[in-house]
Amino acid sequence: MAIARLNRLSYWYPNQRVPALDEVSLQVGAGLTLVAGPSGGGKSTLLRCFNGLVPHFHGGRIAGSAVVDGMDVVATPTRRLARAVGFVFQDPELQTVYDMVEREVGFGLENIGAPPREMREWVAQAMRDAGVEHLAGRRMRTLSGGERQRVALASALAMRPRLVVLDEPTSQLDPDGAGLVLQAISAVADDGRAVVVSEHRLAALVGVSTQLINVERGRTEAVEPSAWVPPAPPSLPRRTGAPGGEAWSLRDVTAGFPDHVVLDGVELAGRQGEVVALSGPNGGGKTTLLRLIAGGLAPLAGTVERRPGRIAYLPQNPTALLHRPTVRSEVALTLERAGEPESPEAILEALGLCDVAGRYPRDLSCGERQRSALAAVLPGRPSLVLLDEPTRGMDVGARDALVRLIARLRDSGSSVVLATHDAAVRDAVADRVYEVVRGGVRELARAASTK
Amino acid sequence: MNARAVAAWSAACLFITLATSNPAYKAVVLAAALSALAAGAGRRNTRRVLVGVALIASFAIVLNFVSAHLGTTVLFALPATLPGVGGAYTLEALASGAAGGLTIAAAILAAAPFSVILRSHDVMDALPSALARTGTAIAASLNLVPAFATSFSEVMEAQRLRGWRPRGPRSWAAVVVPVVLTSVEGSIQLAESMEARAFGSGARTRLRPARLSGADWLVVAAAAAAGLGFAVALAAGWVADWGPYPTLSPPTVDLRPLLACLLLFLPVLTWRSRA
Repeated sequence: MAIARLNRLSYWYPNQRVPALDEVSLQVGAGLTLVAGPSGGGKSTLLRCFNGLVPHFHGGRIAGSAVVDGMDVVATPTRRLARAVGFVFQDPELQTVYDMVEREVGFGLENIGAPPREMREWVAQAMRDAGVEHLAGRRMRTLSGGERQRVALASALAMRPRLVVLDEPTSQLDPDGAGLVLQAISAVADDGRAVVVSEHRLAALVGVSTQLINVERGRTEAVEPSAWVPPAPPSLPRRTGAPGGEAWSLRDVTAGFPDHVVLDGVELAGRQGEVVALSGPNGGGKTTLLRLIAGGLAPLAGTVERRPGRIAYLPQNPTALLHRPTVRSEVALTLERAGEPESPEAILEALGLCDVAGRYPRDLSCGERQRSALAAVLPGRPSLVLLDEPTRGMDVGARDALVRLIARLRDSGSSVVLATHDAAVRDAVADRVYEVVRGGVRELARAASTK
Repeated sequence: MNARAVAAWSAACLFITLATSNPAYKAVVLAAALSALAAGAGRRNTRRVLVGVALIASFAIVLNFVSAHLGTTVLFALPATLPGVGGAYTLEALASGAAGGLTIAAAILAAAPFSVILRSHDVMDALPSALARTGTAIAASLNLVPAFATSFSEVMEAQRLRGWRPRGPRSWAAVVVPVVLTSVEGSIQLAESMEARAFGSGARTRLRPARLSGADWLVVAAAAAAGLGFAVALAAGWVADWGPYPTLSPPTVDLRPLLACLLLFLPVLTWRSRA
């Protein structure tokens, strides 16, 4: 029996002529419904229709009908729909209200005036269902991203909703954290609840899903889960030349804080036209290493050297850089500062951003924003390219475009260093792979290193 | 510990600190606040607060010493022709600055338990029902403050590597605009998340209703007795005023208001560190 029914639903964001959702009809019942599709296709918008954030929170215009648990979404405020629909957002840090785990899980129940005694039982049950009972008594700020996201799932479950919706819950997480969250989602769906998940990492969930819906350009298409084919790993264009001279080096470098050393006695170097990948757990020192190479952080001891030339640095939260009125002007600004004559169109085309080049970057979807930020830092011919988790939240198409761009930069003589958890990208582009863990750096053997 | 008990204790400390010019009583309040903070927040957290308080208090002392050339006990003098700093430097000006610094330090430490010992939900739970929704919204938005500070340094570093250089106030737009926009977007996402969890539905309940324990009642009683006792002492004229000018003299201390101040040490026995 369907818990949610959308019938010819169309939705326009405020001041937009093109609908974000275009005559969408679908039903959601018990079990796991997967929502897939490229960035900017309308996945997040569709998910927000289930609990009324679209249109009540975001405004805009809506046509057609949406009924969830017998309630008309258009006529029912989100705060009332919240009793029937639990929602988990992408960024675990931006959905935390309280600083203690149990309080966070109980926040929704407090809002609906649940009696404290029942509330405590429901909170405990939700924590068990989401696999976070061991986090009781912990402060939210001490949790990893994966733990925080599972707490967010627990707080959605605590209100005992008939439908649980998760919007790319693993996009901001490392593989370990993502694995734990996906495991918890599978368990909740196995329990017979209705769960809708928008996700790029389909492989882990498609086997247990009851339906797969592809969303592209605001239109939906049902796909048989068993017919889903995993995307091919990215392939790298053949190298056009051998690596050149040393581009950067760290000699016996110690870095961090006087009372907390992050890297200790690191020896590492990279060459022009070479791609070095850094892997390892969160907090291991990858970002510190990139900042050292970039010159944004001074070492406590040792020496850091780099050839003169432009540095292109993509920070972990690259969208924070965006402040110009259009994506094109973001690219033009970097080229102007670097004094490079290249047209912005080259990188916009390479990253598949031509369609949105004239739009305000902060109005774009998460994946499109990520690509816009990449376009903003990578145009022209930087001599050193440093990328911190560049594929976070990216769809497969964007990831492949990034791989091709890295190959182009490499072939033009740029020295590239990327910190990434994405094994497919690492295997496709890296000449050498290093694991950064517990303050040290060690090279990992890999078959593709001779590529 | 209950936020209402902490509020009562803080109010008593602040009342005594601000109601008298006598530094002896302020010093007792400062000692009580420091001891209570160490008991409730642990020595390490207290040390961090102390560094900040010491800096602010030192600034007040130096400012008064340099700018107030009053008093009779001249320690040294700079030529009067030196703009801003010229003139006699007196022991009285130093003492006056120290008394000012003492007031600032005592006031800050009296209020410090709200940020150092209590957690945001402790304060929210203690608010009356009418303020519960507002308090929740404020507490939630305060969660974004650390992210704002981190975002500022990250954006500045990334923009610098993108070729940005600070050249006049207008150039700072490249840093300030993204930081502000990111913070605003963070706030909107938080609001969206709260809306999705039924925030604003109606009367709220609490997972653990805030109740005053026996120890909390003791603190409230001690704070009330201290505040009331000191007020009576003030009215009765037992609290002597103090001023360093024109010639420095030690403050006069009466046992009765001093006893009232000593009651503020009670949290040392009842507050236990969560650190």
